Amino acid sequence: MSWVVFGGVAATMLTGAVQVARSDDLVHAIFWLAFTLVGTAAGFAMMQADLIAVLQVMLYTGGVVTLMLFSVLLTRRLDSARASVASVGTSSGLFVAIGFAVLVLPAVFTSALPDGTPAIADSAAVAESFLTRHLIAFEALSVLLLAAMIGAIVIARRKDWGGEW
Amino acid sequence: MVIPLSAWLTLAALMFACGLYAVLTRRNALALLLGVELMANAANLNLVAFGAAQGSYEGQVMALFGMALTVAEVAVGLAVVIQLYRRHKDIRIDAASELSG
Amino acid sequence: MTLSQAPFIVIFAPLAAFLLLGAIAPLRRSGKAAAGLVILATAFSFEATVELLVHVLRGGRDLELSYRWIRVAGEPLAEVGLLVDGTSAPMAAVVGLVALCVQIYSLGYLGPEEHTKADIGRYYTWHALFVVAMQSLVLAPNLLQLFIGWELVGLCSYLLIGFYWERAYAGKAAVKAFWVNKFADSFLMLGLVVLWVDTQSFGWDLAGLPAFNVTTVGLLLLMGTVAKSAQVPLHIWLPDAMAGPTPVSALLHAATMVAAGVYLVLRGWPIFGGSEVTLTAMAWIGSITAITAAIFACLQDDLKKLLAYSTCSQLGYMVAALGAGGMAAGYFHLTTHAFFKALLFLGAGSVIHATHQQSMSRMGGLAKGMPVTFVLFAIGSAALVGLPPFAGFFSKELVLAELWHAGLTVPFLLCLLGAAVTGFYVTRALLRVFLLSGEHRMPAHAKGHESPWTMLLPMLALAVLTLGAGFFQADFTATVAAEQAFHFGGVGIAAMALALAGVTAGVLVHRLGALGVTGGTPMIEDRPLDAFYEWAYKARLLDYAAAIAWVDRYVVDGLMNLGAWWTLRAAELARRLQSGRISDYVWAVGMGMLAVMAYGLVYGLGA
Repeated sequence: MSWVVFGGVAATMLTGAVQVARSDDLVHAIFWLAFTLVGTAAGFAMMQADLIAVLQVMLYTGGVVTLMLFSVLLTRRLDSARASVASVGTSSGLFVAIGFAVLVLPAVFTSALPDGTPAIADSAAVAESFLTRHLIAFEALSVLLLAAMIGAIVIARRKDWGGEW
Repeated sequence: MVIPLSAWLTLAALMFACGLYAVLTRRNALALLLGVELMANAANLNLVAFGAAQGSYEGQVMALFGMALTVAEVAVGLAVVIQLYRRHKDIRIDAASELSG
Repeated sequence: MTLSQAPFIVIFAPLAAFLLLGAIAPLRRSGKAAAGLVILATAFSFEATVELLVHVLRGGRDLELSYRWIRVAGEPLAEVGLLVDGTSAPMAAVVGLVALCVQIYSLGYLGPEEHTKADIGRYYTWHALFVVAMQSLVLAPNLLQLFIGWELVGLCSYLLIGFYWERAYAGKAAVKAFWVNKFADSFLMLGLVVLWVDTQSFGWDLAGLPAFNVTTVGLLLLMGTVAKSAQVPLHIWLPDAMAGPTPVSALLHAATMVAAGVYLVLRGWPIFGGSEVTLTAMAWIGSITAITAAIFACLQDDLKKLLAYSTCSQLGYMVAALGAGGMAAGYFHLTTHAFFKALLFLGAGSVIHATHQQSMSRMGGLAKGMPVTFVLFAIGSAALVGLPPFAGFFSKELVLAELWHAGLTVPFLLCLLGAAVTGFYVTRALLRVFLLSGEHRMPAHAKGHESPWTMLLPMLALAVLTLGAGFFQADFTATVAAEQAFHFGGVGIAAMALALAGVTAGVLVHRLGALGVTGGTPMIEDRPLDAFYEWAYKARLLDYAAAIAWVDRYVVDGLMNLGAWWTLRAAELARRLQSGRISDYVWAVGMGMLAVMAYGLVYGLGA
């Protein structure tokens, strides 16, 4: 039974991923990404990571995809809708991607992987470990987010901003 | 029956490969960022899968960190793309080739 | 100075003068000051050589100061130093004396109206270098150092022949002298190489070597003598070398440098004397040169060229004497010839200085205007002809006696005949320049005036030696070689008779116009020989040089250019990495990542 579910989740994710890479229309690609991210959230849920699944949907599908759509709208040009192939070329790209897969998968299958039962979902426990064991990383992360926010604002400002800097 | 860890890892690897392909071949800067998103998500999937296989929450914690970082990176990346567009009136990444030698 | 310092002073006094003049340009350009410095240095050097000669004459032991040099595998390749013995001391003194005389003479000869102070400074600088080089040659303890001095005097010859470099002829003459000597010096060098291969040293002691090797080395070294001492057929450079100033002709091309070839034979006597073949070759070359050059001298109108051919001829006598095994005879003739030939050249210089030209057909009756010069020139002429009591008589007789006693009949006869021809041309010169008056020949203003004392004094010194040196012949031969001494025999009488016959013929021909030969004789020179050399040597050498140039441009440079071209191509290719395009850079990162992963997979990182 779980294999069926897993199969569905995997199909979702992979279809979406391939379509993101291959879709000519940018907006279509963004929606395919949203599709993939939802599939990933389902995968998280299968692994008893409920908190992460929810946050995935909220942050990515809600936030990131929206951001992308806005950016597409801001930078729309008549001919930029067509995302043609970059200078590297399809074959080189395929070579690297397939090469990667070829090199990683043997490692996956020949290593001695841990094989246990996922812990029962407990969001409170995760949150608590954030504020106790990983507190410093948490604080650092918040500083990083602040920096990213300020950085994004600064980078994207217009020259004729009219402000005081 | 529990899905073995290797299945999840394989899935993540394939998604990563798709993201890599997208980053390499897509000319549009935003599409390139989509590829980066895919790669980041594949990594998150890996983290959670390992954590689950070990029966602890550590994987989830790390995945949460990863997500936050990815979101920050996307924000900054989009700001850069907007600025790139303003400068070149064109978001094809090949347009920004001033460093060519 | 002490005895042990003397050899150093011989070399280092003129060397110091040369270096000072070379380095301090204002000193060199000051003319008289430079001249004074060089003359002073040469005087010191000469005094040192006299001291050494006295030491040697008193039977003092040989002085050898040497420094082992160029170590190859622990063994020194050669020595550098100074060797004072019975062979080198007399020559060193002769060189010092004639050099000093010529340098003092030059003070008066190089007039200020034709020569700038810088010219005079340059002149004396080369003179200083010449003294250093010649003395290094003479006092050399081995043939390698002798060769170094040999080449240096060749350089000085080039510099001084071409002293009037504004004249195209002088430049060509200097180059010609250099080429001819360089051609022969390649054989000389080969001889030195063979010497080294045979004996592992550059010394002249060839004891125990098979005759063939001794002959080979001897003949190769002899080539150097043939060129340097202007023997036929490599004598062609000497008449043209008269393009240099007359004092230079006196010093280099009469007394000292051309004598270096003869000195080489003297110095390396065990090599040359140790082989019958070499000796016979010398006897024949010398005697042929003696007669041929004498005949050429008869056909010259230019006074200096006449004296040049005369020098050739006399050098032939020296070489012939050596070929007969008469080391002392050859050496003594070298010494006396240095004195009287230098005297003759300086006298000619006097004449040229007064009349501003060198052609005998435009001179005449100068004895009235230049009596002192006339007397001194006559003394030199008598010595050259071989009349007693002048030194030339003693030395020439010794040469002929050697040839006779060695049983070399034909060379002897050639040399004997040469004595007659010598008498003829010397008389001709004397008559034409000084005695016979020719109003139609001489321009009115060039009546001749006596030369200044700076010119006359050295000539006087040389004349005294010309008169007196003959009487020291016994001491000389005792010092140089424990061989025969002079004895006045049948050979001497025959020689004198023939010489006088030549003189008489000269008088008859010129005074009485016998044989229809009067004033103007054509100037015969060996132009065909020059043309042959030009074709055989110079042109071939230039072809060879052109081939080397081609190899240099296309092969050597070609390889360099190929390397440069490859570098540029590689840079072009590498440039593509810097496309400025992000996708290319990402691709590069991706490939790097694959490489690391592959490495990890193969070597099991983190397993």
